[in-house]
Amino acid sequence: MNTREFDVIILGGGITGAGTQRDCAMRGLRTLLIERSDIATGATGRNHGLLHSGARYAVNDPESAAECIRENRILRRIASHCIEETDGLFITLPEDDLAYQQTFEDACRAAGIGAEIIDPDLARRLEPSVNPSLTGAVRVPDGSVDPFRLCAANMLDAKLHGGQVRLHTEVTGLIREGDAVVGVHTRNCQTGEAADYFAPVVVNACGIWGQHIAGLADVKVGMYPSKGALLIFAHRINRMVINRCRKPSNADILVPGDTVCVIGTTSTRIPFEECDRVAVTPDEVTLLITEGAKLAPALSSTRILRAYAGVRPLVSADDDPTGRNISRGIVCLDHETRDGLKGFVTITGGKLMTYRLMAEIATDTVCRKLGVDRACETATTPLPGSEERSYEAVARKIWEAPSTAQKAAAARMGTGASRIRSGNRLDDALICECEEVSVGEIENAIGQLEVSSLTDLRRRTRVGMGTCQGEFCACRAAGLLARAHGCVERERKDLADFLQERWKGNFPIGWGDTLREAEYTQWVYKHVLGL
Amino acid sequence: MRFDTVIIGGGLAGLVSGISLQQAGRSTAIVSTGQNALHFFSGSFESLEEAPERLSELFAEAGVRLHYRPGVRLMPLGTFRPAALSLEDVSLFEDPGFARKVLIVSFTGYHDFFSSFLAEGLEKAGMSCRIHLLDLPEIERLRQSPSEVRSVQIARAMDRIWERVVQEVRAALQDEDTVILPQVFGLKDVSVPGRIRQGVPARVVFVGTLPPSVPGIRTQALLKRRFELLGGTYLAGDEAVRASVEDGRVRSIATRNLDRHALEASHFILASGGFFSKGLRSNPFRVYEPVFGLDVDYADDRNAWYDPAFAGDQPYRRFGLKTDAALHPLLGGAPVINLYAVGSVLGGTRPEFGSGAGLAVRSAFAAVDAILKEEAL
Amino acid sequence: MKAQEYTVSKHNFEECMKCTVCTVYCPVLQVNPLYPGPKQAGPDGERLRLKDPFFFNYTLKYCMNCKRCEVACPSGVGVADLIQASRIKYDRTPPKLRDRILASTDLMGSLARPFAPVVNAVTGLGIAKSVMDATLKIDHRRSFPKYSGRSFEAWLRKRAAQQAAFPEQVAYFHGCYVNYNNPQLGKDLVKVLNALGVGVQLLDHEKCCGIALITNGMSKQATRHAEHNVGIIRQAVLERRLPVVTTSSSCTLTLRDEYPNLLGVDNADVRASVLMAVRYIFERLEAGATLRFKPGFRKKVAYHVPCHMERLGWGVFSERLLRMIPGVEFTLLDSACCGIAGTYGFKKENYEASQAVGAALFEQIRSVDPEVVACDCETCKWQIEMSTGYRVENPISILAESIEQ
Repeated sequence: MNTREFDVIILGGGITGAGTQRDCAMRGLRTLLIERSDIATGATGRNHGLLHSGARYAVNDPESAAECIRENRILRRIASHCIEETDGLFITLPEDDLAYQQTFEDACRAAGIGAEIIDPDLARRLEPSVNPSLTGAVRVPDGSVDPFRLCAANMLDAKLHGGQVRLHTEVTGLIREGDAVVGVHTRNCQTGEAADYFAPVVVNACGIWGQHIAGLADVKVGMYPSKGALLIFAHRINRMVINRCRKPSNADILVPGDTVCVIGTTSTRIPFEECDRVAVTPDEVTLLITEGAKLAPALSSTRILRAYAGVRPLVSADDDPTGRNISRGIVCLDHETRDGLKGFVTITGGKLMTYRLMAEIATDTVCRKLGVDRACETATTPLPGSEERSYEAVARKIWEAPSTAQKAAAARMGTGASRIRSGNRLDDALICECEEVSVGEIENAIGQLEVSSLTDLRRRTRVGMGTCQGEFCACRAAGLLARAHGCVERERKDLADFLQERWKGNFPIGWGDTLREAEYTQWVYKHVLGL
Repeated sequence: MRFDTVIIGGGLAGLVSGISLQQAGRSTAIVSTGQNALHFFSGSFESLEEAPERLSELFAEAGVRLHYRPGVRLMPLGTFRPAALSLEDVSLFEDPGFARKVLIVSFTGYHDFFSSFLAEGLEKAGMSCRIHLLDLPEIERLRQSPSEVRSVQIARAMDRIWERVVQEVRAALQDEDTVILPQVFGLKDVSVPGRIRQGVPARVVFVGTLPPSVPGIRTQALLKRRFELLGGTYLAGDEAVRASVEDGRVRSIATRNLDRHALEASHFILASGGFFSKGLRSNPFRVYEPVFGLDVDYADDRNAWYDPAFAGDQPYRRFGLKTDAALHPLLGGAPVINLYAVGSVLGGTRPEFGSGAGLAVRSAFAAVDAILKEEAL
Repeated sequence: MKAQEYTVSKHNFEECMKCTVCTVYCPVLQVNPLYPGPKQAGPDGERLRLKDPFFFNYTLKYCMNCKRCEVACPSGVGVADLIQASRIKYDRTPPKLRDRILASTDLMGSLARPFAPVVNAVTGLGIAKSVMDATLKIDHRRSFPKYSGRSFEAWLRKRAAQQAAFPEQVAYFHGCYVNYNNPQLGKDLVKVLNALGVGVQLLDHEKCCGIALITNGMSKQATRHAEHNVGIIRQAVLERRLPVVTTSSSCTLTLRDEYPNLLGVDNADVRASVLMAVRYIFERLEAGATLRFKPGFRKKVAYHVPCHMERLGWGVFSERLLRMIPGVEFTLLDSACCGIAGTYGFKKENYEASQAVGAALFEQIRSVDPEVVACDCETCKWQIEMSTGYRVENPISILAESIEQ
């Protein structure tokens, strides 16, 4: 296990990297994935979590639209436990041009997307939260997808196929032999330990940060950082995805996912240096609330849980300052043919929806380079957890009379919930009460899914993602992590970091109940617990 | 309904005011929007370093014993904080090196008490620690509900079986000089913590848990009972919704439950708390006081409400009512002369009253004295 | 409206700060570890149920709907409302025969009343109790409320003309209990109100308020009752210009709050006119009316605020009235649930829990040792009488006893 030689090294623990590792591993390659932070910390974890039908792109970018709907259908099959089949509406409001609806429907049809113009009355019945003044509605097969879960499932499957993963490990340089990349220098971000890993092919799947990695190889990949801000509301107000039926614009998608719903996004070009420290501004918050309330008026009086922002990893194509008209098409660069650098491939562009296709394209390139001839099976093989379509069936299969927490676990983990130690009251005890996460589920994540901190744990289990934002669960979970890692001192710092990370998303919307909750949490940790 | 004084808020500040006034023979009503911050009370009064006698006496008459010894106390995550006046449950030490060998006792599967953090903190301070977990059938029974192995449910059981805990601790004790136990004793039966101390042949230190705070709940219950025994009227679960103010004086307040039936009084005390308790409310545009619409001292620019560091000194916690020197809050710039603001609604900290529980108590006494003095004139 | 100036959510569930105060005051949690507790069953669970009704859990049935969580909540969350509303919305288990029988208080009353002596004798028999226990799972240790031979309605109807002669009038929602089990309470109210110069009228055929239907999973019938009752209350308040007074705290809470909050039956135009009689009487006395008390009246009274009276926030009116009676030695009992919670404690599976919940209250009553326990709720009365042997009376009856004819 200690070998430092692999067939392929994948850089980047976002969905593209995890998907690529899974595909490579399923084709029999010895794989290593290196991520400087945690899985899904870049654009993967900082978007709507929208399972696009492709309808949004149908008019302007038919090619992307067609890609989307194909992958949409595939993900419903292979990633059912990461997906909610909610369907979506594209609504026309009085200030919008109703004539656009027909253009839109035609374009959807042409791209193979099952779009259907429905009566506004039916739309109001299907989705009671929708702006009642809508003048038109089109129903499309949108849905929601949990990107953390999707990423973790890909990583888990790669591991089940022999893949290795190094999280919290930074690439400090590429190892070159003449005109070929043959490995990477790394440094463990937590211990500072340096290590070299070798493979005949290195895949750069670092999203926006891919520009930096390419720089290490002295090749140029121009990225186009575009910041998008989003707001999470404290509970679900809509059942279906709600979009505006017009040219894509700000804050025009409302996605229900898990226990919350998300409005977004904005689009602002930012300098590359700012990618690591994007923050949501008050103006963005105002824009998101006012535009969002046009989709679903309840948003203007619903408690907001968090504000966050991500950076779209778009590849520079033209001079459009909004970054919105750039093709979101997939870009796979074989630097051997492009730049004369062997053993180095960049996979970028694309989007969460098309990660599997991106992985397939990248893996095809890797296999070609390695002379491996194995077909891609990722479109047909379910991810671990998705062997069963409905979480209801999963829960009833595992437990005779599932508790709410067990049902919640089944919804999060799919068939993987059977791995949770259960039936023992110690393991059934709840750590996170808002999202109903048990000791057993947390210990399963710690054992299986590479958890080194509370924030890592949150991405894998939803601990701390609920209404209280870690008020009660953070210190309880810290106790479990301290036990698992055998180090309290490190956990003390981890707890402080976690609360800081939660606060970062709270204060931009720190009023009303959010401020009350913050006051309470700050009181508890400072004055009651003595952190 | 008419009273001498109506108090809005049934937390520490409201109860201390109410008990004092009722003791002085003034008919008093407390309107309490649900339970209050005493349920998260750490057991120590910050900024009551001097002159604690008056509070100690008031508490003692209610059956709550305080002790005073400037020093430090041990926090649940294994750190130390300065403390002086505290509930008897809270052990106060001259300095953090208070023991040599410590036995930390908790319950299997109890996640709201942080044994390993305590051990690490104490070891850092030079002590050696051993953690011992008790397996009790009563706790196993509580575990049937995955969310309810909480301090308060454990404490309910402990009121019955504390003697068993004493036996188990005695059996587990080796050569430790100190035993640490979670604060889950004496919910109803106030004598339990003392009896445990007597029964264990080592120093016993009770350390806090995640809320709810058992000593806090007990304190709230005893203070409320004292207030009612003195003849006070405690309107639980009601909420002041608006006030009638004429010529700079409050005439009456209306509550949610009593609606048209206004509460009239000569004096009013606003002890409605900070943001958590909704004494202060906020929206994206402003911070306001919801019952009277009193003047609030806060920053207009919302960016100035927060310190981006979670652990920082948060500016919003200093927001509070504008008052004159006699604690009369201002309404449109002018003091409301028969209204007094006490406790956290004044803001998290005031130079003359300190912060937290200390602020609550000192401002309450100041308001009570002013009311009694005014009536005496 | 400016966006985000206010936030609103159904039953205020988003105001929940996860502070755990409700778990301190829930009487069920103290005795039944199978209950997930008000925080989990209420606002925590609601977020999941909004995602998918699949997350509804049958253990919510253990909630007694005593509303103590709501009284304790510092955030104004309708915790019990959330739990009951989700039971109404998601629980598809059909109610058992036993629950149907217990819930149909008016039907049972009208069937039993003509045969009251027989019914009372039979339900009091050990053998009948064993049969009910075995077949219906109604606990045999429970004593059953007695049925009266003559209904209150019939009694008052005979006196309609006499009552109409008073200068002022109220309509009385007497409820099933006064009508079938304890007409004396209604008569006592008539006596007190008459002494204040107020005549008492019936509503136009009231139906059971429906509280037992709601808690026993029969919300459809309850909604029909609610619509009917709001209709006749509207007629009394808006057409006959009469306030509506009541003597049962649970009926009152149901008429005022459960109708709009749980059943979606709007009563906003008349809600403020439905008052407990103790409040109505207190307000008249405060406005200058007087009662002539019997000289030499002496009574040691301990007042228990029933859970729903606590939620109404009107215990203060009963307390004030009782303290006002010359010769009454008054003790306010600590606020605590007696454990019966309407029909809850009658069910065999709840008997132990029910008695355990009330234990502290019973103990305090024994230590106070009053001549009578005052209480505004009929089911508390049965529970306390059965469990302590002390006599329990509505404050109105004690007031009636204390005044001159």
